[in-house]
Amino acid sequence: MTAPPDAAGAGCRDPVTGEPSGIVFDDVHKAFGRHHILRGLDLRVPRGKLTVLIGRSGTGKSVTIKHVMGLLRPDTGRIWVGDDELSRMDDRRLQKVRLRFGMVFQHAALFDSMDVFENVAFPLREHTRMAEGAIRDKVRGLLAQVGLHDAEDKYPSELSGGMRKRVGLARALVRDPEFLLYDEPTTGLDPILAAAMDKLIHDTQQAHPQLTSLVISHDMAAVLKIADKISMLYEGRIAHEGTADFFRNHDDPLVKQFLTGSLDGPMKV
Amino acid sequence: MPPSPPHPAPAPQDASGPEHARGGLLGRWAVRLVEMAGRPALTVLDGIEDVGRAVRIGGMGLANIAIPPVRLRLTIRQMEFIGVQSLPIIVLTSAFTGAVFTLQSHRAFALFGAEGMVGGTVGVALTRELGPTLTGLLVAGRAGSAMAAEIGSMRVSEQIDALEAMAVDPINYLVKPRMVAAMLVLPMLTALFDMVGVLGSWFVGTQVMGLSEPEFWVRLGEWVDWDDVWSGLFKAWIFGIIIGSVACYKGYYTAGGAKGVGIATTTAVVVSSVAILVSNFFIAWALP
Repeated sequence: MTAPPDAAGAGCRDPVTGEPSGIVFDDVHKAFGRHHILRGLDLRVPRGKLTVLIGRSGTGKSVTIKHVMGLLRPDTGRIWVGDDELSRMDDRRLQKVRLRFGMVFQHAALFDSMDVFENVAFPLREHTRMAEGAIRDKVRGLLAQVGLHDAEDKYPSELSGGMRKRVGLARALVRDPEFLLYDEPTTGLDPILAAAMDKLIHDTQQAHPQLTSLVISHDMAAVLKIADKISMLYEGRIAHEGTADFFRNHDDPLVKQFLTGSLDGPMKV
Repeated sequence: MPPSPPHPAPAPQDASGPEHARGGLLGRWAVRLVEMAGRPALTVLDGIEDVGRAVRIGGMGLANIAIPPVRLRLTIRQMEFIGVQSLPIIVLTSAFTGAVFTLQSHRAFALFGAEGMVGGTVGVALTRELGPTLTGLLVAGRAGSAMAAEIGSMRVSEQIDALEAMAVDPINYLVKPRMVAAMLVLPMLTALFDMVGVLGSWFVGTQVMGLSEPEFWVRLGEWVDWDDVWSGLFKAWIFGIIIGSVACYKGYYTAGGAKGVGIATTTAVVVSSVAILVSNFFIAWALP
């Protein structure tokens, strides 16, 4: 473990929210063959806040989130999660860092062979010695929290897209993580289900004030409602970051084009 | 400040571009010749890479036997899937294999009046070759394909990423139980194949072709010794490792959605079947 430097590490305060940073990317580069995805990414995710990473498809948002989990390693640059620097960590220590995370996948990534209850209970069975009764209480409580108290015997194939994502959220929360990552949680949902999911993300953050959340999203209306901080990824770097008000009132053509979804602007299709 | 990453390499010049056109017909033929010569070389290299990855996945699965948790429940579930669910096809195939082998060898031995050798010949062939090889091929087709499809669909639906994100080693959780189950179950199925095959042979030999009971059993007892049985079971154990490694490898590296799962499933069966037949020769050569 390397102590993070004051200027860049986890000890530094986030300039937007004033909170200490929980996750820090310091000049991270990542290329796949000739595709240079991250080009010097500097990102700070403040503790106890909900940060949304926005950007066009293919700009490296999912690559960023995979770096946070240690599923990918940077070519150059450093990444801190709390006081742990991931970039040079071996797999065994990475596993320990991952235990501090929960992740909601884009398509939920529930295990087909298990019912809803078993899916949510899975991290507890793998990593704790909790009694069966305690596991049952915890899982049922979380399923009730996400509005799925009557679905515990169903299999993923019997659930709608929105239900699957809610089960994914319950599974991510079951071990009371310090960090919660959402990979495009509303993609593929109709506007009503998407709004319900956004409310659930917001409510979850309110119910767990110590939780540090990072959300990847394209849904700008929702982003402006739920985010404590928004970071905009453009050409492998953070182009802008600020609060929702900052983005609403910003007159940069890049921000305006992304907010309005206009075809005219610096971002070409 | 970390060093800047290397700039992307410049795109190679298109072989059909103007520069190349000046090279004329001879140049184009030279390029085509190099391409033609290179293609099989690339295929061989891909094949070597495939073998290397399958060995690595299998090796990691086996090394994980020493790493907790034991995954007993998952292993038993896989043994039930690979073993118990394969019983009907193994029993049916072995009975008819023993039967038809007896039928044909009886006709051949009858040409020089040596029908009494049928029991022993069929026994040796079943225990040393047919039992392990056909069991391996059947299990590769039935269970190997299903293993590759299951792990492959977990890969494309991000379930393997989810395991990693939950700090669960996918090799320990997915590969180890399948490898252990295949290694344990293949010798058991082979032993069953041998027994039912001999019974099929006995039925045709004594009830259809008119051999006497002592003629059949005495020769069988004289010719088949425990070394034959053990060598067949050893082969089956190796085939179990091959099927587990190839199926898990093909599933684990699946890419490209449903089509990718289909390709992984098919290639898992083809590769493990070929590997079984090729390794069978070398094991037979090496064993006494």
